[in-house]
Amino acid sequence: MKIIILILSILSFAFSSQYTFLIKEYDKEIDLEAKIVAKIAKSSIKDEVRLFIPNISSMEKKVYSKYFTLGDSCKSSNFIFVKKADDSIKSCPKKDKLFFTNNYRKLLSDKKFYGAFFWNKSRPNIVFIRKRLDINHIKLPESYAQFVESFNEK
Amino acid sequence: MKNKTFVKNPIQVIGITLVVSLVLILLLLGTLKLEDRITKRMLDVSTFDVISIAQNNAKAINELLKDSNNYIEDISNKELLQQQIENNLRILITKNIEYAYVVYKDDKGTFRFLADASTSEDKALVNQKLDIDDSKWFEIYDTKKPIIINHTLLHQLSITYLVPILYDNEVELVLVIDFSIKKVEDVNKIIKLMKNGIFGIIVITFIFLIILIIQAIKYQSVKRTAYIDKLTNVHNRNYLQELEEFINLDDYILATLDIDHFKKVNDTYGHDIGDKILKEVAKTILQTIRKKDDIAIRYGGEEFIILAKVLRNDHLSALNVIERVFRSIQEKKFFINKKDFIDITVSIGVNLVPQKSKNFSEAFKFADISLYNAKNKGRNTIEIYNGKEEINNSLMSINDIKEAMDENRLICYYQAIVDNNTSEISHYEALLRIETKNGEIITPDKILPAIKGTFILRNITKVVLNICHKRLLEDDKIKINVNLNPQDIVNDSIINILKDYAATENIANRLGLEIVESEDIIICNNAKENLLMLKKLGYKLFIDDFGSGYSNFIYLAEIKTNYIKIDGAIIKRVLEDDVSFLLVKSIVAFAKESNIKVVAEYVSSKEIFEKIQSLGIEYSQGYYFYKPMPFEPSK
Repeated sequence: MKIIILILSILSFAFSSQYTFLIKEYDKEIDLEAKIVAKIAKSSIKDEVRLFIPNISSMEKKVYSKYFTLGDSCKSSNFIFVKKADDSIKSCPKKDKLFFTNNYRKLLSDKKFYGAFFWNKSRPNIVFIRKRLDINHIKLPESYAQFVESFNEK
Repeated sequence: MKNKTFVKNPIQVIGITLVVSLVLILLLLGTLKLEDRITKRMLDVSTFDVISIAQNNAKAINELLKDSNNYIEDISNKELLQQQIENNLRILITKNIEYAYVVYKDDKGTFRFLADASTSEDKALVNQKLDIDDSKWFEIYDTKKPIIINHTLLHQLSITYLVPILYDNEVELVLVIDFSIKKVEDVNKIIKLMKNGIFGIIVITFIFLIILIIQAIKYQSVKRTAYIDKLTNVHNRNYLQELEEFINLDDYILATLDIDHFKKVNDTYGHDIGDKILKEVAKTILQTIRKKDDIAIRYGGEEFIILAKVLRNDHLSALNVIERVFRSIQEKKFFINKKDFIDITVSIGVNLVPQKSKNFSEAFKFADISLYNAKNKGRNTIEIYNGKEEINNSLMSINDIKEAMDENRLICYYQAIVDNNTSEISHYEALLRIETKNGEIITPDKILPAIKGTFILRNITKVVLNICHKRLLEDDKIKINVNLNPQDIVNDSIINILKDYAATENIANRLGLEIVESEDIIICNNAKENLLMLKKLGYKLFIDDFGSGYSNFIYLAEIKTNYIKIDGAIIKRVLEDDVSFLLVKSIVAFAKESNIKVVAEYVSSKEIFEKIQSLGIEYSQGYYFYKPMPFEPSK
């Protein structure tokens, strides 16, 4: 009897992460986004990725910290994922940093972004701009080819 | 006895739980099936309108492009045409239809937007890439027919509907609408709730089942140790207690078995040999009975119960089992060491008709009475009770006797003992009676068989002593004799009561103690010491029924009894039987030599009285003088 209760308790604790929704709302969309962005960042940067998200929410912080080392500021980080408009980014030096966005229009209008991940018609979409990849000396794996767009940029 | 339906066995509970689990699993499978059917039906109903509208819309777009030779280029370059198409698409947008757009597939196989009904931020740009989530999209280029894609993996039950827009019989553009069906979602939520509920119950049931199985295994092992007698390896009295509630008495005959002279074995060879004999007897019983059908129980001491199953209403086969046990023990050599052995015999009482009894206790009582009779007939025999004996109908049960004690319905009748010289009453013998609720008077022959060997018999002795003691206190001239069993003489509480009575003056000398001389009193160590002590306290000792069984003159001399009462069976025959006459004569001669006074019982006629008077017997008791009656000294 004791053994059964012990086994059930161990199993229950082992899968406790699955029950977090019982006490706190858990955003699966953010989790999926974090996983995809982590994969992209790790494919783009050879060194350890230090992520900075301007105006990051507590929920995002919780979810992203599972996949990334989070930087305190843009300067101390090497991968910047801009989700909301923030002036601090403008002053952040571009050297040794990759800028990524969640907005397709922002990607097209601002050349410092080399790619974007966004929800299009409720589907996850990824876009990289070839020229910006080349400028940043990023060589993505072959499986990313379908996401690379060759726009006529100067 | 009625069959009980109460679930006692944990294995039955496990069975019930398994059935419940099976029903729940079937319910779960049924719910899954129901979910599929409802979803399919709702989809059919809900998509019918949307599909026809989307197809009409595709036709309208085709109409707008009727002058175009290159759909993609024209839409990309002609803003007006694009706007017209988008206006057309906006007609489709409703509460349920979230997105409506037109895409094409480029040379690399990437889908790109040409027109989008969405506004502002959500609106896709012309030629913007669309990452699709299902390879089914490509099938439309082969089938050239509309396709429905269900997003079953998503929690929201949404559907993508693709309509081909053909040019030159080739799919040039694809009209896409993404919509969700609210009703399906609602139904699905309820079903999901049901599914989760049932699944939860199944999980709990299974956990309960596992716990139950473990408990059942534990229960069985504990039960095994609790219900088996360690010494003899047969079932013990705990098992009997458990069994007697559930046993169907129609299925068995009931036998009680007692090892003859077992006390002698213990006293002669010691308790180790006694235990060995018990083990061997139990082993013989187990080897002889039918393993699957019959039940052997050690009832206590050297007494066993055998329940032999009656198969196909064949009582004789069951009785054969008992006889085989009897013969096997009789023929077996019981070795007390490597060389020497003793013969052991048993007395058996069989109740052939336990089903006629109200309960197990009553059925056991009849078997025990038969055993009692077997012992009285000299042991080493089987006595059978088949329900036809008259005595049994009027026997009192233990419960009746207990009830009578509680309600103070235990009374004493007194029979006078007359001095043969003066014809005056010398003593009274107190005789136990129970008054029933109806006022009927029950005699000891109907009381004692049920309580033989039980503590109730001791309690009855105490009650009788108390009644007589009160009577002696009330009248300081009378003398009363009380009958004591051999076990009473060695019972500390009864001895203490008698010691207390003796502390009052003029009680012990008027209270006679009548003791049946039996083998038991001779064997018992303390009996002689206690009798001598009681005599010293002033009590008069009477040896009752002298000449009936174990008459031992040496023992008689040792305890120096005051009186002997010659057994009524001898006195009854004294007129016609010379042997009885000589026996009485020699007892009287011995008594006179030993200074012991003699009482003749069963003096029922003038002739008998004159005969015993001529022999010099001092006292008479019998119907010739007085019958037992409630205490009325004046009569």
